[in-house]
Amino acid sequence: MQAKTMIIAFLLLAHVSASATELQNSEASGRALMQQVYDTHQQYPYVYEEQSMVLIDREGNRETRKVKLYSRVESNLLQRILLLFDSPKDVKGVAVLAERNADGETRQAIYLPALGRGMIENSGESGDANFLGTDFSVENLTGERLEDYIYRRRRDELINDKMYSVIDVFGKEADAEQTALRRHFISQENFYLTRTDYFDGLGRVRKRQSSHDMAQVLGNMWRANMMLMENLQNDHQTLIKVDRRVFSKDYVPSEVFTTEYLYANSHAEGLIPDDLPDEAAEAELTGELEGELAP
Amino acid sequence: MIASMYLLGARHRAIVISIIALITVVASFGLTRLEIDTSFDSLIPNDDPARIVYQRVMGEFGSDNKTIIYIEDDALWSTEKLTALQSLHMQLKRIEHVSRVDSLFNLRTIRGRTTGGETTVKAEAVMERVPQTPSEVVAAKRRALGNPLYVGNLFSADGRVTAMILTVKGSEDEKDFNDQVYVDIKSALDAHDSNFARLFQVGPPRVNAEIRSSLIEDFTILGPLSAFVLIASILFFMRSPLAAAVPIITSALTIVWTFGLLGWIGTPLNILGAMIPSLIIVIGSTEDTHIMSAFFRGLALGDKPGTGSMKDMDGDPRHRAIRYMATHTGLPLILTVLTTALGFAANLFSSIGLIQDFAVASTFAIVANGVITILVVPFLLAQFGPAKITSDIEREKIYTNNLPDRIIATFRISQDRFPIYTLSLTAILCIFFTYQASHLYVTNDPMSYFPEDRPLVQETQQIHKELAGIKVFFISLESLTDKAFLEPSNLLKLEKIQDFMRKQEVFDNSLSLADHLKYVNREIQGEFAQLSLPKSRQMVAQYLLFFHRSELESYVSHDYRRANIVVRHNINDSNTLNLYVEELEAAVKQIAGADFEANIIGENLMVNQAAEDLMISQVKALGLLLALIFILMSIMFTSFKGGAIAMIPSMIPIMLMFGIMGFLGIPLNPGTAMVAVIAVGIAIDGTIHLLARYNELCRSTADYKSAVNQAVKEVATPLIVSSLALSLGFGIFLFSNFTVIAQFGALAAATMLISIFANLLITPIIMARIRLVGLYQIISMQVDESVLDQSPLFNDMTSYQRRKAILISEIHDFAPGEKLIEQGTKGRSMYMILEGEANVVRRDGEVERVLAQLAPGQIIGEVGYIRAIERTADVTAATAVTALRFDYERMQKDLKFFPNIVAQLNFNISAILGGRLADVLAEQKS
Repeated sequence: MQAKTMIIAFLLLAHVSASATELQNSEASGRALMQQVYDTHQQYPYVYEEQSMVLIDREGNRETRKVKLYSRVESNLLQRILLLFDSPKDVKGVAVLAERNADGETRQAIYLPALGRGMIENSGESGDANFLGTDFSVENLTGERLEDYIYRRRRDELINDKMYSVIDVFGKEADAEQTALRRHFISQENFYLTRTDYFDGLGRVRKRQSSHDMAQVLGNMWRANMMLMENLQNDHQTLIKVDRRVFSKDYVPSEVFTTEYLYANSHAEGLIPDDLPDEAAEAELTGELEGELAP
Repeated sequence: MIASMYLLGARHRAIVISIIALITVVASFGLTRLEIDTSFDSLIPNDDPARIVYQRVMGEFGSDNKTIIYIEDDALWSTEKLTALQSLHMQLKRIEHVSRVDSLFNLRTIRGRTTGGETTVKAEAVMERVPQTPSEVVAAKRRALGNPLYVGNLFSADGRVTAMILTVKGSEDEKDFNDQVYVDIKSALDAHDSNFARLFQVGPPRVNAEIRSSLIEDFTILGPLSAFVLIASILFFMRSPLAAAVPIITSALTIVWTFGLLGWIGTPLNILGAMIPSLIIVIGSTEDTHIMSAFFRGLALGDKPGTGSMKDMDGDPRHRAIRYMATHTGLPLILTVLTTALGFAANLFSSIGLIQDFAVASTFAIVANGVITILVVPFLLAQFGPAKITSDIEREKIYTNNLPDRIIATFRISQDRFPIYTLSLTAILCIFFTYQASHLYVTNDPMSYFPEDRPLVQETQQIHKELAGIKVFFISLESLTDKAFLEPSNLLKLEKIQDFMRKQEVFDNSLSLADHLKYVNREIQGEFAQLSLPKSRQMVAQYLLFFHRSELESYVSHDYRRANIVVRHNINDSNTLNLYVEELEAAVKQIAGADFEANIIGENLMVNQAAEDLMISQVKALGLLLALIFILMSIMFTSFKGGAIAMIPSMIPIMLMFGIMGFLGIPLNPGTAMVAVIAVGIAIDGTIHLLARYNELCRSTADYKSAVNQAVKEVATPLIVSSLALSLGFGIFLFSNFTVIAQFGALAAATMLISIFANLLITPIIMARIRLVGLYQIISMQVDESVLDQSPLFNDMTSYQRRKAILISEIHDFAPGEKLIEQGTKGRSMYMILEGEANVVRRDGEVERVLAQLAPGQIIGEVGYIRAIERTADVTAATAVTALRFDYERMQKDLKFFPNIVAQLNFNISAILGGRLADVLAEQKS
């Protein structure tokens, strides 16, 4: 009897120990893979995009906004994003300024031209909350800080004849039993994070972000020209289509991130050389990319 | 023909029973297909144009199938309670068909703070996770109660109560999904019940589940209870186990046929359907009681005169009694089945599906019960009925029982001594109750179907008290201009409409796009903005960026052309609700202006607005039924007076019933609305039996008063028994789980009792003043037309007039040697021989001289008819004679009832006498 108990105890111990090792391995592997994803497709420090943001409700009704996105990473790793609304005309000039410093602290401010001068600090919301009526959160657009999460690798999956590495993302304090916050699907072809499923507290998918119309912009670096966020709980979708993308310091001057610029409504006239032909931008990109890739 | 139908069951027992068994087997397969409908959809008229608008608005602004979970606890804002609340939230989210749970765990709030000219806006979740410290709890509570959009909707002002709102989505294929959702929610609540002072759910799943369980409970209780009451009352009054068993058998067959048919034709069973088994048992038994009573009467009479022609009978006393029964109750039975069925069928005019379905089922049930009664009862009596009634005591039992006798005796005092006072008092009573009926109001609200003390109703009131009523309707404004509701001027219209509602002080609260914008404006602009609307279109558009589309989808369409105000209320009375909604509608149209199409819409509203349709359709149904009965009775008794008199015993109970409803504040609802038409259909049955019997008795007596008394005496027992059984049967509905059915039962029972008073007190007073002839008697009369053709009495009269004249007169049978007229006596009767031969014999002392031999068609005693002179000869039946007797005084009385016929008869008598005089004169001359 005693021997039997000891054998069972030994087997259990062995199982627990094996599970713990497996977990450690999967975390190491998950984190490494995510690092590889980031390294491969690391954010270019100066990105200018003209986007069409399409909001689709449960009935399929669409509302389209034209926005300009300025993204810039400073040398102190301060990441700054400006999202400027171009249309509809009632919201033209609305701006969202977001910053994230090296420690991961974020700050958001909104400028509403209809109210006149003055920025409205937007705080309190968790990083994952929707912003400006879309199904995206700021974090969805800026990307997550790897050090803020635990990544556990899962079994690879074959989806539409393509192999994907699958990683579950947990909060920093997560234990083995905790439900994953989200699940990343990374294409094994180009290490691009192609799909992310966001879970609710019950482990059900509440949002799904997917990338489409992929373009290889430089070397192994890929970008999606379309990003779709499906809110599965309220049947709402937001599609961001990049109409134009330029990797250039000239397109993202520091001035655009200032309140003066926003108050002056200078963006409306276009401080940025909107009329620069894409070819020129591409040439510019090709010429400058090498030196400016790493912040 | 009717008698032949009756005798089918007795003569061809095997065939009849085989057919009945076959139909019953087929019907019983239909029972397995029977469905239960607990939805509110059947309360809305099918042709209601608002349905389309409603469906469009629902499609655009979301489902109104929402269940509210009410949570109350003094220590609600504590880590412990909030942890339990979160656990409940998670458990509710897991339930299949629950597509969304809105609770403090997924609410967002926008809070603004302006310091030193800088505004900070916090858009944050009320509670992302359960707060762990007291200060976190306080902060979370402040966030929740700081949002005016939530207070009154999701939180009580003092924070002791919160609600979770569950949106339920079911597919068309899953008919019982509401039941399953209710059970799942209940199980989640049961698991958390000990954590909170009060925890319950209210919403369509619970209402549907409660209707279903109550319906099934009613089914299992009311039917057997009705059967028990029926058996007890019949045993008490008629003291015959067979008389009690017969209605049970016919009712059981009818129930199988009816519900089998409903199963086959796909008509679902609704809450009114719970009444059908009891109605079948109770109403079906009244016919059975009448015909059983006639059967026993036939048995008691044996082969005495009055049992009708027995020429073709085989000597079995049961068969003779069945024939007696067929002869005396055949026509009344057909008529009563027809009028009762008409009463139920009149409900088909209702535009409300619930009532229509009930009308189909109940009408079929009554007709089927009639058919089954005609076919099965004679079979049962022929097979199992007693062959004779052995003692005088038993005979007496058949006719009388102490209670009916006492009632009749009491009524007779009024009839004999104070007929005018009785009629006047009844008229005053009717006027008083008609006035009371003017206070009647209509309601169709589903919550009013349940009794006030039911937990569902109480808990609904609790939600109303602490938060807002669970009933929702929408005010929808639509513009032709794109983005119309980005314009502050149009948002102002929403605000004005809401202000108007606040002044009405009847609706609990309302929420619109304007409220959302005012809230953001206050948070961003600071307190000075209070709750005011943004000033510019740009500001509106830019504020809207703070909301996710899903947060606004109940309030504005994607293109901002349509806006929706969501109104919550707790008005259970359609009359009040319709009144205020009508007032609101006028204001909305005025505020919205010509550029907007405005609609006030909601399932609850449509259901309540159907109340007016209910009233109109019931008035139509009642009017039509009364008209039909009037025509039918006028035809049957070949007199409009007869038709009008037949209506009186039905009209009095209706007037009194509506008066009682007005007096006691009982509303007209889908249950009570049917009482009038059903009561008319049933109450007329007693009147038909009474009039038919009176009509029969009048044929053998000139004393109408005694004919009335005899008719009342004979009909009273079955009438009282059936009316009391009906009252008790309807009274059973008081045990129903549904108020509408209980009210229906109470009123129908009262109406049945009043109908006893009307039929046995009022009808006889009026009946004694009229003389009726049945159309059926005219048509079915077996007379030798050649005899009538030869008779000078019927000169220049149509066949119909001749037959009617025969029925007006008295008919007498004479045995051979019996005297029709006796020499030396005085009399004012005249005879016409229909069958047989008679001799006119003059007696002079011992000498008798036959003056003449009379054949069918000939007339005797016409001089005495004109003047009371001494009869100059005997008229003696040479063979068995059947003769019509025309009594002078009776004919003068009948002149006012049948003026044309009696006048023609008088004219013909004058012609006969004129002819005689001319003959005498000619004789003298020669």
